[in-house]
Amino acid sequence: MNENQIIVSVGREHGSGGHFIAQELADNLGIKLYDKEIIEGVVEKGFSREFVEAMDEKPINYFLSRRIGEFSNSPEEIVAEQVFDYIREIAKKGESFVIVGRCAESVLRLYPHVLSVFVTGDKKDKLERIKTIYHLDSMAAQDRIRRVDSKRKQYHNHYADYKWGDSRGYDLLINSSRLGIDGTAKCLAGYVHAYMEVKGIKNPSR
Amino acid sequence: MIAQAAALIIFVGMFVLIILDKFERQWITLVSGLLMLIVVFGICLHSPQAIVDTLNLKAFFVKSFWYGGEESASAGINWSTIVFIAGMMIMVEGLGHSGFFRWLCLSLAKAVHYHLVPLLICFMCMSGFLSMFIDSITVVLFLATVTIELSRMLKYNPVPMILAEIFCANLGGAATMSGDPPNIIIGTSLGYTFMDFISNTGAVVGISFVFALVYFWLCFRKELRENEAARVGEVSCPEPSTAIESKPAFLCGILVFALAVVLLITHAQTGLTVSCIGVIVAVLTVMAMTATSGIQVIPRIFRGVDYKTLLFFIGLFVSVGGLEQTGVLEVIAHFISVISGGNPYVMTAIILILSAGCSALIDNIPFAATMIPVIQSLSATTGMALPTLAWTLSLGTDIGGNATPIGASANVVGTSVSAKNGHPISWGKYCKYCVPATVIVIMISLGCIYVRYL
Repeated sequence: MNENQIIVSVGREHGSGGHFIAQELADNLGIKLYDKEIIEGVVEKGFSREFVEAMDEKPINYFLSRRIGEFSNSPEEIVAEQVFDYIREIAKKGESFVIVGRCAESVLRLYPHVLSVFVTGDKKDKLERIKTIYHLDSMAAQDRIRRVDSKRKQYHNHYADYKWGDSRGYDLLINSSRLGIDGTAKCLAGYVHAYMEVKGIKNPSR
Repeated sequence: MIAQAAALIIFVGMFVLIILDKFERQWITLVSGLLMLIVVFGICLHSPQAIVDTLNLKAFFVKSFWYGGEESASAGINWSTIVFIAGMMIMVEGLGHSGFFRWLCLSLAKAVHYHLVPLLICFMCMSGFLSMFIDSITVVLFLATVTIELSRMLKYNPVPMILAEIFCANLGGAATMSGDPPNIIIGTSLGYTFMDFISNTGAVVGISFVFALVYFWLCFRKELRENEAARVGEVSCPEPSTAIESKPAFLCGILVFALAVVLLITHAQTGLTVSCIGVIVAVLTVMAMTATSGIQVIPRIFRGVDYKTLLFFIGLFVSVGGLEQTGVLEVIAHFISVISGGNPYVMTAIILILSAGCSALIDNIPFAATMIPVIQSLSATTGMALPTLAWTLSLGTDIGGNATPIGASANVVGTSVSAKNGHPISWGKYCKYCVPATVIVIMISLGCIYVRYL
């Protein structure tokens, strides 16, 4: 394992700006961001983009799938396994990166410098962000937040060691409404730099 | 009454948890079985004897368990099924280790010069034939894996072939006593032989298989021909001989498999029970593999045995035993008898369609285990021949499982292998081809049962 490898996993509530914060954090640290890039990685293994996008971060439908030993015919679970394999592959290369969602903090639990963050936000701010990004009215945006968070929660709770959003499962929980996207990203970057200083890491591996 | 209610609640809870698939299914049935022993037999019935009967450990010490006798018809754990399946699992592990299945698939592909439509027919026949003697999960696992490997080299879509292989594996399994777990349970519980199955369910499956071949040929011939026509350049496939990991182990594996087939076919004449056959093939496999590949291979073979399924069976038998001892299943039998008005045609149709419908959506093993006491009770109260009901139940549970991706274990394994290799099979795609085929075969089965037995 590369002793200079820093991995930051960013869990997030829908609308909290988790993706944008992760992007700014990665830019600040000068390391790569993996979010939709993970889908590309799985597609390169021979899966159709449409299939991977449809099943990524989706919970298993227990009524429509079954598992026999190591064989599951749940498309959601098959994509999750491929995603986890891809995450392990990129981590194995030794590069530092920021990764959004996909239970990365559990998948990469054996790596020494994995920092896990969960980004939450005030309901009002999340609603505004979703309304703007997806051009939805309040009702539709609220419904979307509820649905997406419910799916993320079920997905995370099935594969990860700790419950989704449970403070015991993360190093840091942060409300993006307090500092905004830029402020939160800066705050997190400060946290990562402080961690690197404590661990004697001068530069994260690239 | 309290005992009945408790047994029913535990059993329904077990079934719901199996469907929800939140926990591994062997733990669900084992905990359910334990609850049945403690709550129903211990607390409600105050009957230590019922616990002893359900655990059925005395079966091992009875001569007829091993030789010459009727199979165990007592309530509780059907150890014959468990010993037989364990023995066959060891044999199959030995065969797999020797490279037999891959060699067979590659040999067939080479024999048809890698032409896709003949390959489809060959793989369907092989899937059906092997599943008569080996569990369909193993057959589909190897076939689907080789089908995908060949599809990369021969540039074709493997999904049609995998769908046909799954269907034929389930159909072939319905033909014999050793082909599908519900048949093993039915055979060992009711004392039927391998030849009984072959001459009854086997005959129906034989007719159905011809229809299945024609059906899938009609469905997929065009797509496969187009795939073949679009192929450019020379075909380069591995030689079948490269699949053989060790020639002596390969030959010994085939010999043990052939012996298992002979012992199963002749077990009514030789007097050897399926438990005895299971132990014989397991011991011979271990001896043959030790002699040909060394002692170091034995732990690998035993690690390959699916202990979880064996534990699942043990818990399941105890749970069904609870329903049986409390008389719940007699109530169900009475209900079927009442709604059919005692009419054998209606009764058979109900059992066939009910078992096919349920098996399409839930695991057919617990369903078959539950229904055996029900058909016994139906036969006793209505006077209808028990074998007719048994063949109906067997065909319904085995064939019904074909209809959906979750209906049978082979379907799960086949669709899983396909999806993991970048060829997901959606419910819509699966059902589009397999539901009509299942309905056709169920109708053929019903017609055969009416003509032959009623």
